[in-house]
Amino acid sequence: MWALECRRLGKRFGERWVFRGLELSLQMGTVLLVRGANGSGKSTLLRLMAGLLAPTEGTVVLRYQGTPVADRKRYLGWCAVDGALYRELTGYEHLRWWAQVRNLPAERDLLLTHLERFELGHRAHERVRAYSAGMRQRLRLALATYGAPPLLLLDEPDAGLDSSGLRLLERTLHEQATYGIACFATNRAEFARWGNLALELGS
Amino acid sequence: MRQGIVASLLMGVATVVGIGFAALGQTLSAGLQAGLFWTALLFGLFPALARGFIVEEETGTADLLRIGARPASIFWGKWLFHATLYALLSVVLVPLYALLVAPPRGHALGWLLLWLGGGFCLTSILTLCGALVAQTTVRGALLAGLTFPLLLPLILVLIAGTRQALEGALPAEPLQGIFGYALALSAGGAWVFEKVWQE
Repeated sequence: MWALECRRLGKRFGERWVFRGLELSLQMGTVLLVRGANGSGKSTLLRLMAGLLAPTEGTVVLRYQGTPVADRKRYLGWCAVDGALYRELTGYEHLRWWAQVRNLPAERDLLLTHLERFELGHRAHERVRAYSAGMRQRLRLALATYGAPPLLLLDEPDAGLDSSGLRLLERTLHEQATYGIACFATNRAEFARWGNLALELGS
Repeated sequence: MRQGIVASLLMGVATVVGIGFAALGQTLSAGLQAGLFWTALLFGLFPALARGFIVEEETGTADLLRIGARPASIFWGKWLFHATLYALLSVVLVPLYALLVAPPRGHALGWLLLWLGGGFCLTSILTLCGALVAQTTVRGALLAGLTFPLLLPLILVLIAGTRQALEGALPAEPLQGIFGYALALSAGGAWVFEKVWQE
């Protein structure tokens, strides 16, 4: 059973506090919707959860059956709209590299099946520089979900996705809830139904 | 990175050609030859090594690396790439230097050990400093400022050792110094990198 805890979490940039005193306890099955105005700290919160930023105060702990895990990055999938990909690599090469550095199965058929799930199978061997914005976002989602990480953090995952991609994203979140935790940040009110818990920042 | 490699090669070749032109017809002392040799290699290394981590931060792929791979893997992976560049640069510049400036002579084993040890240390320092500087916004001057105190002792020892090798002696003491420096960089470099790499 996985759980993510944020205790008295706060982040300051210079003299400006983005937020402080945040308390969260997310259990397996939670799909947390993080909402807030621009600059309210949605991305900052997700980056703190991911360990990409160090908190100014407080802690973020990922637990498995009550025991904190040492390096939570190994157990998370990350997808950010401004997350860059390597333009010289193909979608397949990205996923293969990802599987290899994460010590996940990297058989060709598995990788292509996973890309096909995100409707990238037919473009798997093209370089990312030839991908549209929506395709790149699909690839980010594919990387984030490969290996079924128990914690999925998505920062504006809907950006650039068409209706088919949005359905895929919704399915991904629901699947994640069956074995882990998902947190996604968005400004779009129509996606509120995707979450079973909501956090409003900046209010 | 392709641009960085090309820039490195061009910079290195231009440096050696410039030195060769300036030294035309002159007999250079062993000390001067040694200094110019390592200067040429260093000038060739700088353009690509400085970009190693900076390009990851600038293009935004650094987060992918932070999430995906362990810091030690990233450090040594970048180091391996930089060491390969050092070898490539040497393949081009050493013969060119021999042709244009002065042919190699002296203690062959000493040369080889200096090249190996110096290369290990140079790539370690520039890999680590590149990672440090990539986290900042003021990069150019900072990289030079950070690397100078680490590079200076190494370069002085390399020049001293190369001079001895040119004079036909095994540069035992400089090699001991380089070996110690390499040990310290091996032990400390990856550890410092891990602290720097995570915010």
